[in-house]
Amino acid sequence: MDLLTLFCTATASILAFGLYWFVCILGSAEQKGKAATQLSGGSIAREKVQDKFKQYWTFFRRPKEIETAEKVPAFVDTFYNLVTDIYEWGWGQSFHFSPSIPGKSHRDATRLHEEMAVGLLNVGPGKRILDAGCGVGGPMRAIASHSGANVVGITINEYQVKRARMHNKKAGLDKLCEVVCGNFLQMPFEDDSFDGAYSIEATCHAPKLEDVYSEIYRVLKPGSLYVSYEWVTTEAYNPESPDHVEIIQGIERGDALPGLRSFKNIAETAKKVGFEVISEKDLASPPAQPWWSRLKMGRIAYWRNHIVVTCLAWLGIAPKGVVDVHEMLFVTADYLTRGGETGIFTPMYMILCRKPESKL
Amino acid sequence: MRLITHNMLSSNIKGVTNGFPLRIEAEKVVEKEVDFNPDFLRNMFSKIEWKALTDASKALGYAELPEETEPSMLESELFLRKLHHALLELHLEEGALVCPETGRKFPVNKGIPNMLLHEDEV
Repeated sequence: MDLLTLFCTATASILAFGLYWFVCILGSAEQKGKAATQLSGGSIAREKVQDKFKQYWTFFRRPKEIETAEKVPAFVDTFYNLVTDIYEWGWGQSFHFSPSIPGKSHRDATRLHEEMAVGLLNVGPGKRILDAGCGVGGPMRAIASHSGANVVGITINEYQVKRARMHNKKAGLDKLCEVVCGNFLQMPFEDDSFDGAYSIEATCHAPKLEDVYSEIYRVLKPGSLYVSYEWVTTEAYNPESPDHVEIIQGIERGDALPGLRSFKNIAETAKKVGFEVISEKDLASPPAQPWWSRLKMGRIAYWRNHIVVTCLAWLGIAPKGVVDVHEMLFVTADYLTRGGETGIFTPMYMILCRKPESKL
Repeated sequence: MRLITHNMLSSNIKGVTNGFPLRIEAEKVVEKEVDFNPDFLRNMFSKIEWKALTDASKALGYAELPEETEPSMLESELFLRKLHHALLELHLEEGALVCPETGRKFPVNKGIPNMLLHEDEV
């Protein structure tokens, strides 16, 4: 082979590898996780992804004014069909935030945040706990392996159940973890069947917090604990400020939230359904490091991913509509970051409650 | 869906007073081997609704579980192996879970039970 051919072959190989690395490796949040070429619209048929996205975007235009609250679950389901693959690809299997910890990776910080939740519940092997709004099961797996407890997850999105079960099996945790497709507003479990429960950044999808809290109360055994990480507006939020309102509405619209609640409502609602409130705290408050730094650092990543997704859609590999979804998430990430920086919003308002012992 | 899950699912349709246990209509059952862990089984035993488990197990084609139990059985490896098989190794891949009061069928597809209610059942 003469020098020119050798040079051309070498350059072509490097470019091919570079392209492969750029598309398949760099975008992924995890090695061997979801790849860009596997992005889909969840359970939505390819041709319908873009339409479904448009319907979603219109429905959540004015989240606090949604009159048809009964339609919310279906749109939350649509939202997760649209975003689950992108979340898994770009963020990881735990669809929630965590305070950043200097010197620790995002994965470790996430895991610690999850383990703290279950540490509060104080459960171990042989106990059965509920994950209300379990997504694809990132927290469930960390919690089951850390505590040895049995975890039953419920999610409204069938695609997520499929993904969760696959991950559970891969992690060897399918004996300890189970996932059911259902609505946490009407859970298919008997009264008093769980030794503990947690929900991580999931109850925000319920139009009325009272509805999900009362279901969780119902299925818990008397004397058991429930811990929830809530998305709320803080003391600093001023509903008269157009900037504040814009940020909160931006967050609501891009995250399928039928109206963010104030931190003040949380304990009040828990007590209303019968819980004793043991403690509540905004886990984002100092000395915790910012949870939104991960979103900010991801700006460059977003642009790169945007290029990747646009190319893949153009090539017909990713469904059309995935580009719109990705862009929505990018815009929403910006609102979330502003929410964090201004201190008017927190995704980790922690409340720990107990269902009272039965009076016999 | 394994029977360890079925044992805790109930029909929550509005108006139903006793939605447990759900009857199983099995179309496709698969057996998947799982590591035997006697301690885990002993821990779980007290939480199991036994009759619901034996009925469900028969619906999936496994009739080896005793109808009645007593605590001493937890020391018998033979019993634990049967419990292990029924609880963890039998999978309902395709079929339905039927509400005992209304007869409404909750579909099970690719091993996933879909317990979402229709608008009029809420």
